Parts: sequence; C-alpha cells; structure tokens
Amino acid sequence: MIKNKKILFIIILAVVALTLGACTGRRVVATGWSGITVNEETVYFSYGPHAYALNLKNGAQQWQFPAEPINSVDFYAAPVLADENSQLLVAGYDSVLYSVNPVNGSENWSFLAAENRYVAPPLATEDGIFAANSDNSLYALDYDGLLQWEFETEDPLWASPIWSENCGCIYQVSMDHYLYAINPENGKLVWKSEDLGGPIVNNPSISEDGLILLATFNNEVIALDEESQQVEWRFQTSDWAWATPVIDGDQVYASDISGTFYTLDLHSGELLWQVQPGGGIYSSPLVQDGMVYFSTDTSSLVVISQEGVLQRNQPVDGKLYASPVGAGDKVLLAPSEAEYFLVALSESGVQVWGYPPPK
Amino acid sequence: MWDAFISLMINVMLFIYNLIGQNFGWAIIIFTVLVRLVTYPLTAKQMKSSKAMQDLQSSKEWNDMQAKYKNDKEGLAQKQMEIYKEKGISPFGSCLPLLVQFPVIIGLYQAIIRTLAVTPIQLVNLSKHITDGANLIPINSQFWWMELSEPERLPILGVAVPVLAILVLITSYIQTKMVTPTGGAGDNAQGAQMTQAMTLYMPFFMGYLAMTFASGLALYFIATNLATIAQYVITGQANFKNILPKLPNFSQLGKK
Repeated sequence: MIKNKKILFIIILAVVALTLGACTGRRVVATGWSGITVNEETVYFSYGPHAYALNLKNGAQQWQFPAEPINSVDFYAAPVLADENSQLLVAGYDSVLYSVNPVNGSENWSFLAAENRYVAPPLATEDGIFAANSDNSLYALDYDGLLQWEFETEDPLWASPIWSENCGCIYQVSMDHYLYAINPENGKLVWKSEDLGGPIVNNPSISEDGLILLATFNNEVIALDEESQQVEWRFQTSDWAWATPVIDGDQVYASDISGTFYTLDLHSGELLWQVQPGGGIYSSPLVQDGMVYFSTDTSSLVVISQEGVLQRNQPVDGKLYASPVGAGDKVLLAPSEAEYFLVALSESGVQVWGYPPPK
Repeated sequence: MWDAFISLMINVMLFIYNLIGQNFGWAIIIFTVLVRLVTYPLTAKQMKSSKAMQDLQSSKEWNDMQAKYKNDKEGLAQKQMEIYKEKGISPFGSCLPLLVQFPVIIGLYQAIIRTLAVTPIQLVNLSKHITDGANLIPINSQFWWMELSEPERLPILGVAVPVLAILVLITSYIQTKMVTPTGGAGDNAQGAQMTQAMTLYMPFFMGYLAMTFASGLALYFIATNLATIAQYVITGQANFKNILPKLPNFSQLGKK
C-alpha cells in the first residue's frame, strides 16, 4: 500500500512536470520558423539546433553547423552569404552571430556581444555586417567579426536592417513603432520616422522611387516617402500585418494574420483586390514566373496569378510560417512540425525532394 | 473551451499589466492574488473539510475503530463511511475543491507563459488569444533583476544564485508545513509516511521547477505560496508549530 502511494506520488510529480514543461517554450517544440538562402548549387537553411547546407539538385546534406547540437542553441534566422560568398552568417537564439565556411560548415569566428536572440538574418553590405538583436540593438561588425558600432532602440529588433541606395543609409524598424535611418559608417541616426502606431517585426521594402513599405501590428500597411520622411499613405488591414509587403511593378502584396492577402496600388495604397484562402499569413509571398506563392499556417501553399485568380491551394504537411523561396524552376518550402524540414516543389507543385530531420 | 479560458486569463492579465504601468512582474503578483481571492470560497471549503477530517482522525472514536477493525479491512471501510455520514463529513470534501482549483492554477500558469512571448512562434500563439493588445507588445518582461521569460540567477560575489528558486523552496516548505496537521495519536503509519514524503519532496520539486523554468513561473509560485500562507494565518488555521524542525528531547535522551 505504501509502495503504491509512493508510486502514485512520483507519477503526480511527473505529470505536473510534463504539464508545465510542455508550455514553457523550451526545447520541446520549435520556437521559430526556418529561414532559407539559396545560391546556384546550394540551399542553406536554419531550423532548431542546426544550420544546414544541402545540394539544391537533390536535397542531399553537405554539412550541418554545429556538427553536434549544443544544449539550448537554436537557429531560425536565414543564413546569409557575405564577403563575396566566402562567409555564411548564421545568427542564433543563443545571442551569438557565427561566421562559418559555406563550403564545409567550419566556424570562422563568432560575435558574442549581443545579449538576446537573433530572430532576423543579418544584412551584409560592402560597409560590413549589420545584425539586429532582440536586446534592442543593431550591431555593426567588420568581416572579421569585430564590433564597429552599436545603435540602440527602445524595444526588441526582430526585423533585418535593409540598405537604401537612395538614402545611402540603412533602415531599421523596431517593435518600438519607429523606423530609423542610420549612417552605416558610424551608426549615427540620419532620421527617425513618426510613431507608426504599432510594433513592426519584419523588414520594410523599398520601391525604386523611394517609397518605404512596412507592415505594423496596428493593422496597417504604411508607405513612407524616403525624401520627405513623411507617411505617404496608410492601408487598413483586418488584423495584425506581420509580413513584409512585397513590391511587384506598380502593385504591392501585403497580408494579415487573419489570412487576408491584399494587392494594393503602390502609389496610392488603394486596394486592387484581395483573397482569403484560409489560415493566417505570417510571411511574404514569392513572385516567380508570373505567379504569386504564399504560405498559410493551416498547411497550404496558395498560388495565384498576378491578377488574383486562384491557381491552386496545395496542402502541405506541417505549418507554413516561412516564406516560399524560389530556386530556379523550384519552389522551396520550410514547414514547421512536419515530416520534412525542407521540401522542393516543381512549379506545378510536384515534390522533387524532401529533406527529413537528421536522425 | 480550454483555449477560451486561457484567452480570458491572458486578456485579464494584459488589462492589469496595462493598468499598472506595464510591469509584468507586478501583473503576475496582482493577478495571482486576485485569482486566489476569486477561488477563496473553494479554498475555504477545502480548509474546513480538511480541518473536520483532521479532528475526526485524531478523535478517540476513530482510534478505537481503527484498533477494533485492524484485521478487517472491509469492516473498517464500512464503519468509516458510517462515521463520515453521522458526522456529516465528506471524505472527498477536501479533495474536490482542490481538483476544481487545479485547472485554474494550470490556466494561470499557461496564461503567464503564453503572454511572455519572446519568440515568433510564441507571439503567433499569443496573437490568437488577445483581443486588443497589439500595442502592449512587446511585453516588458524585466522585473527588478529578473528577465521573467528566462530562468533567474542573481550574481552574488561572482556566483549565479537562483534566488527565486530558493524563495520558492522556503515558501513551499512553510506553506506545506503550515497546513499539515500535527501528528496525533490517530495518525496511521501510511498516512504519516505519505505526508512526510510530501513535505520533504514537494518544496524541492517546486524549487527545481522554479530554477529550471521561466522566472515568471517562480514569481507565480512565490505569490501563490504567500497567498496561501496568508489565507491560513487570517483564518487562524496556520500550524506554526510545524514550521521549525522538531528538536530531540535532550532530557529524554539523557535518561536512555
């Protein structure tokens, strides 16, 4: 009887531990979604404890970094090729930015000064590396991984900085509701937008004629003029606008987390058409060969024409939070909680290969 | 159903968070105390039933019955049920209110963890729960020296000390001891052993959880332990004698 009670007591403790452990966002489930980068022959992506390099043709693994998983280190930001493809920048949830050899995955250097997760991939330009961190700071490094300057905002940075040719500066958006234009050489503020009304978690895009487009959690897509630094137009979405708006000629593709996909006029912000195929949209669409591909968290890849005619709504195993990425005649998908970490589809939707999690 | 319950808790917590100047540490403490107040009728019922049961089990009538039926389990069970009926005590009276509170406690915990969304997937999940809180994001998860979404350590003289985990351990020990009845003549060996195991292991188990998981959880443990202790003190049912470990009776030892 006593023994039974002890066993019962241990079982209760175990159940409580599991109940609590299942909800803490520790290593039990993924806490981000995969980022993908492609060059001519190789696809690089991050998911969970590793960044991977695969052969684009057949999905065969070339290497993984780190070779063995390190406890509590996760990678979700897309790896970035830099320094004439001699470095691959891999930003981790362990607050470390790694430079690895793109050929064999060996580590070149690591940058340790940040204090929180890297959610966004870094930006690599001729001026150096710019890495936004959840500790509210943007770090500028040279290609040896040495800190050049640090720019601090009020809230975490989940969006990558972007380079503007027109301004000769980099733009960084923050969860603090602002867009910052920063001098890449010294980290000084060039200008700062007005309060844009809500947190911004994804990088803006810039049109050739200097319109900066961004999505906010205040249910808005906003266009800012680079020259006047003023809001040019605002478009109201039905829910949080999470994904970066994508410019395609005179059209802008935007979306919200309730699953509405909008096409707007670039210069006026007027709605041209919208579709709601079902499921939340958290990532930008891919525009390839006259088709627009976007993914939803209800496990479907939606393909529409640039005029808004639905071509197909293709079920995919797993949740699709990440953007589809074009690679020649293939479309790459990185589903979460799925049989495959990475799937290559033909443009007609047939699976060419799938990369399963390594055992 | 469960999701709707969690959503309600998250939104109430965010309301408090916004009301008190966007301090999530205080929001956890206030929300925990509020939940304890709302569930107080259940707690009071549990405490009352528990006390009645303790009184009964230390009574002469109960001990006589135990002795009489020590070799007859079926007869003992039957007699126990008769006494429960006669005294108007439900043997599950102290368990049922606790069972009802359990989902509330788990819900409160989940609400805390889900609101502290510090990664994209966590924020996606949070977005499905909140009705009007986009501008509260990101939640300010700094509270004193703590980052509430991470396990807590305070560097003291170069050593990372898990202060909250230690506080959880201490308050859990006090709370468990305070509500445990003093060993009476009617205590049976099995029950006493079980109680001893609980009072020994539970605080360490809670301390381990507090050390391992997000410090927001540890803060919740401390707040809920202190609220329980306060409830027992206010209602005069706290058993202070149990808190300090029993010292051996030296005069007795000398005689042996």
